[in-house]
Amino acid sequence: MSESLLSAKLLRQLDQLELRAGRRSKSSGRGERRSKARGHSVEFADHRSYVAGDDVRRLDWNLYGRLDRLFIKLYEEERELPVQIFLDASESMTFGTPTKFDFARRLAAAVGYVALCGFDRVTVRLFPELNPGSAGERGENAGGVLGEAAYRSALRGVQGKKLATGFIQNLGRVRAGGVGDFNESLRLCALQTRQAGLAIVFSDLLDPKGYAAGLDALLARGFHVHVVQVMAREELEPVSFGDLRLVDSETGGEQEVTFGRFRVKAYRQVVENYTQKLREFCRARGIGFFRVTSDTMLESVLLKDLRECALLA
Amino acid sequence: MNFLTPLAAWFAATIPVVVLFYLLKRRRVVLKVPSTVLWQKYLAETQASAPFQKLRKNWLLFLQILLLALAVFGLTRPFFAGQQTPSSLRVLILDASASMQSSDVAPSRFEAARSEALRWVDGLKPGQSMVVLQAGPRTEVRQSATSDRQALRRALQAAAVTDGPARAGEALKMAESLIRDVSDAEIHLFSDGAISGLETFENHNLPLVFHRVGERLNNVAITSLDVRTNPENPNQRAVFASVANLTAAPVATTVELGFAGDTLDVRPVTIPAGETESLVFLVSQQADGEFTVRHTTADDLSVDNQSSVMSLLPRPVKVLLVSRGNRFLEKAIRSVGAVDLSTVGEAPLDTAAWDVVVLDDVAPTVWPRGNVLAVRVAEPDWFEATGAVRAPPVVDWKSTHPLLRFVNLDNVQVAEASGVKTPRWGTVLVESPQTPLVVAGEVGRQRVVWIGFDLLASNWPLRVSFPMFVANAIEWLNPATTSAERRNVRAGEPIRLDVPEGTTAVDVRPPGEGWRSIPVNQGSTELVFGGTDRQGSYGVRWGTNETAVVVRALDVQESNSTPRKEIQMGRYGGTVATTMRSANLEIWRWFAGVALAVLLFEWWFYHRRTA
Repeated sequence: MSESLLSAKLLRQLDQLELRAGRRSKSSGRGERRSKARGHSVEFADHRSYVAGDDVRRLDWNLYGRLDRLFIKLYEEERELPVQIFLDASESMTFGTPTKFDFARRLAAAVGYVALCGFDRVTVRLFPELNPGSAGERGENAGGVLGEAAYRSALRGVQGKKLATGFIQNLGRVRAGGVGDFNESLRLCALQTRQAGLAIVFSDLLDPKGYAAGLDALLARGFHVHVVQVMAREELEPVSFGDLRLVDSETGGEQEVTFGRFRVKAYRQVVENYTQKLREFCRARGIGFFRVTSDTMLESVLLKDLRECALLA
Repeated sequence: MNFLTPLAAWFAATIPVVVLFYLLKRRRVVLKVPSTVLWQKYLAETQASAPFQKLRKNWLLFLQILLLALAVFGLTRPFFAGQQTPSSLRVLILDASASMQSSDVAPSRFEAARSEALRWVDGLKPGQSMVVLQAGPRTEVRQSATSDRQALRRALQAAAVTDGPARAGEALKMAESLIRDVSDAEIHLFSDGAISGLETFENHNLPLVFHRVGERLNNVAITSLDVRTNPENPNQRAVFASVANLTAAPVATTVELGFAGDTLDVRPVTIPAGETESLVFLVSQQADGEFTVRHTTADDLSVDNQSSVMSLLPRPVKVLLVSRGNRFLEKAIRSVGAVDLSTVGEAPLDTAAWDVVVLDDVAPTVWPRGNVLAVRVAEPDWFEATGAVRAPPVVDWKSTHPLLRFVNLDNVQVAEASGVKTPRWGTVLVESPQTPLVVAGEVGRQRVVWIGFDLLASNWPLRVSFPMFVANAIEWLNPATTSAERRNVRAGEPIRLDVPEGTTAVDVRPPGEGWRSIPVNQGSTELVFGGTDRQGSYGVRWGTNETAVVVRALDVQESNSTPRKEIQMGRYGGTVATTMRSANLEIWRWFAGVALAVLLFEWWFYHRRTA
């Protein structure tokens, strides 16, 4: 599955990239990210006066020579960057060619790979949570559900490039489906997370209840948030016309619409307005935002667009 | 409220079609979409969130404005002044009555009508046909239905104006029968509107177009002329004439009376506008002849400026009274004057020597062939007897009949009368509830006055009315009276004259023409000549006999030839033909049709947009 998600060539290209953390890591785990903590890295940070009990190996003898006073040299502590990838796996993500979910998890895999390469701890959280009932309704056996649960749990707290292959494979095995509540899912995830870090949300952000509460919850938890809105091409430019009865894939709600080619422009304007509002919401909160359609070339998104929006460097 | 086209109500059948459209369910395609969030926003934004919005270019808007404009334009009922859609058959009726000779439009109304009719003939298109009728005293079919313009032109050129009245009702009835099976036919009447015979003609949506000719009325007319014996001096003749001034101003004119070419009297008269002046000329007459009255005022219609009357010298009437003795009746007959009375007890076999035979309750062996006054006797096939009626009261009498002129039958009582049924040949003059009491009529060519009760068994001989009735009866039965009446006929009416048995042909000379031989039907003793379109003296001769008949144009309706804007038809006046030469071509139907087409197009366009 890893082959299908990310090609070897792309992986080589991704090796050159790294995640850009917006701020210094607050994580407690050791890693390769600069943090505000003082520790044992090679990066000098500051001096402080010697007090009894300090390690005499860290005395700055040159300074003692000049000032005749004892100072201890402080070094920066390098910590890990917890990267939380929130991947929308609701039913609405199963649309598009390729499906939005497929595209989103390839993006997630790529970003996760970059993070793993940077020795960051990566957690992929799929929402909505797995619902055994819904799986049963789809006629899948309990083993499938259990396997899905196993794949999902295997995506939590992955660290180190060695695990990248398994990480990508597991990401390729998860499936989308079920009714998602974007706000509630993000709020719960924010609460469950022990350490805030970088949060990257992959979703279509088309939840009837909106997106503000969920993103605000992440911000409140201290995450540095990036939002990638994944849309299907037909959502931007509908191809079905006439007297339509539209059925919401998640809520099952029906909407009767009489739509014609002459109205495509008006619809497109509605989508643009929606995205613009979303973009302004994110900008006001310091959230990185980027919209992508599922039929875009993955390489161009990763190597160009995400670098431009300061997620990758 | 009335409807011009009630048949259009059938269009109501389209209403169910509209309902059907609404019954048709819009079949919506069910489409599963990731989320309806964007669609809800789309609907919310495209629906009216504010009362007004910027006017945008929308073809549906243009279509609806067009639809509305068409509907409004249609409601204004626009029309073009033009001729109606050409009909496949037109019946042209040319009024050839005397009033059409008026010269208020040069050269005459008739010529103006003819030229207009010719214009219609010129406008004849292929596939259309016309009929030409001439409406004079008689209606003549000048040309039956044809598309041949030359034939139609010839027929119109051959039409000639008459001095008689126009029997338009007859012409319209004929035209109606001609167009009965043609749905889009038209009748075009070219006339001045001074026509008669329409009182009994009910217009049942006749497609009649009335082309009026004539502009004004400027006419002084002699409207009546009659000759009687001067009641005050039996040796003199009294000529009664009426001159009507039908102009809008008083007219001073001179009225001349002539007899056989000599002028007998000249009288100046001044007639106020709209009034009629009656003149009486008292003259002596030596021989049978023609009195002519004319006035000297020049007017538009010359045909009624003069009139003639044939006057026959009064001769004593020979009366044979067959009676067992009835002094009342005898005295009454003798009091008539100019009567040569013979009284006998039994009727002779041959009564041809007498003008009038009076049978007073005496049945003759051979019924007389002359005129008869019969009291209680009748030829067997005259009546169907119903038995005797005792004391029949007199309930009604026909006072307008010449026989009952000045006769009042109040207080007349009858003891017994013969009960009969009213015969077809006669008119009941006096009637009781059970039976007619006095009947007058013509059986064949024999005039009969029948009294159904014994005069002596009634009190009528004691009443003043009795001698008056007898005088009236003798005058009515006098063959000379009939003869004088037959010598004066109205223009257009046939000349009927008795001729001796065995006559096969009679020569007739219309005024201004030569002698014409008119055949008499075999076995008939009557000449019938119908070509009396022009007024004047018609010479008639058979064998060595030669006489004259005067044809007169006297007709108040023709003289009063005001060009009428409307022709009144029928008794109730509800059906009036118009003077419209051209019909207003209403075109709202076209607009309604186009509006309907636009509506359908809009419907299609809307669905195409949303498809």
